Amino acid sequence: MAERYLDERTYATGDVVFAEGAAGTEMFIVQEGAVALTRTVAGREIFIGAQERGDFFGEMSMFTGSPRHATCVAMVPTRLLAIRSGELLMKLRRDPTLALEMVAQMSRRMAYLETQLVKLVEHQLEARGQLGKVMARAEFFSDDPEP
Amino acid sequence: MNIDVREPRLLVTSDAHIGSLFCDARRGLIRFLEFARAHDFNVCINGDGIDVEYTTLRAFTAETSAFLRELRRLTSDMTVYYTVGNHDILLEHYVGDWGRLQLVPFLNVSSGSKRIRIEHGHLYDPSMMTDPNLYHGIRQVLCAMCRMYPPGYYWHEKYQRLRFRYVRRLLGHDLHALDSTATRDISPAFLEAAEELAKRGFDAVVFGHTHYAGELPINDNRARYLNTGSWFRDPHFVKIDNGEVTLMQVPAGLR
Repeated sequence: MAERYLDERTYATGDVVFAEGAAGTEMFIVQEGAVALTRTVAGREIFIGAQERGDFFGEMSMFTGSPRHATCVAMVPTRLLAIRSGELLMKLRRDPTLALEMVAQMSRRMAYLETQLVKLVEHQLEARGQLGKVMARAEFFSDDPEP
Repeated sequence: MNIDVREPRLLVTSDAHIGSLFCDARRGLIRFLEFARAHDFNVCINGDGIDVEYTTLRAFTAETSAFLRELRRLTSDMTVYYTVGNHDILLEHYVGDWGRLQLVPFLNVSSGSKRIRIEHGHLYDPSMMTDPNLYHGIRQVLCAMCRMYPPGYYWHEKYQRLRFRYVRRLLGHDLHALDSTATRDISPAFLEAAEELAKRGFDAVVFGHTHYAGELPINDNRARYLNTGSWFRDPHFVKIDNGEVTLMQVPAGLR
């Protein structure tokens, strides 16, 4: 049987897996349970998404060396598989299809983010258009000669 | 190519080797697919459904053309997933959605609350992993020899079985503790691979390739390894029914 080179960790509901801004050198795969990812923007906590069985997360910090972009909290009793960068290579040698699944999941995330970005730009353009109309109207009225 | 699917009811079988000089499973597999359709199941043919190695061009075209015609008829009202194996590896070039026939490298199935990994398993074959070129070279020679002397195939299988038992003895495994040929007569590499996959949050890992049907608990009894054997002899299938995963023999009437 496979030797235990991977780190399995269990978390109770509400436990913090990692906090935003912390240094991170490992990624996680959800073996059991689910986690929520949140981010603080202008003092408000924004829900980014939930990761369930089979999903992976935390790879951004592992690959780029940047601090954690989000806080990760267990939503239910959860068991995670922690993989450090050196172990990822070994994992990929033993489990090569993981690479394809990671690319597939990342492509789905990218497609989702692109859709969100387009929506945001559309929303911004719409808001700008409306603002333009309001300003034009304000200008029209301000140009009116006073009786 | 969608590798993550939700399938409440799915039947999985493998290694029919249609077109092979040594296996006549075409009619059986069609009966199996018709049985699945009649009972409202979709089907996954888990690799080596057709055989481009142990065949001749004449046998291959005759058998596979008839099979593909039937498959086209059946997929009008059921979904058939086909995961690529080593004897049909050229199908890798056609991976994608072909209407209701979906050609995939492997499949992650969600059924009920369970996650099941379905993969042919040839990627974990130690001889294929160590030196793929040597592996394919030896296979070519074996194929040529088997074409001249078909019973040679069974001697080859027997040799493989003895070899893996020898490897297990060298590794100090207790052969009597392994309950069936599905686990005793195969390379330990397959079970290690199934363990690795199970660690990623799968409740069951279904392989084919080894031709030995059976099942075994893995990942500290949190998951199961299942193998559907082959249609050369004693074909099996895995029934996935709303999260319940069962290994069953293909009934004699369907073979």
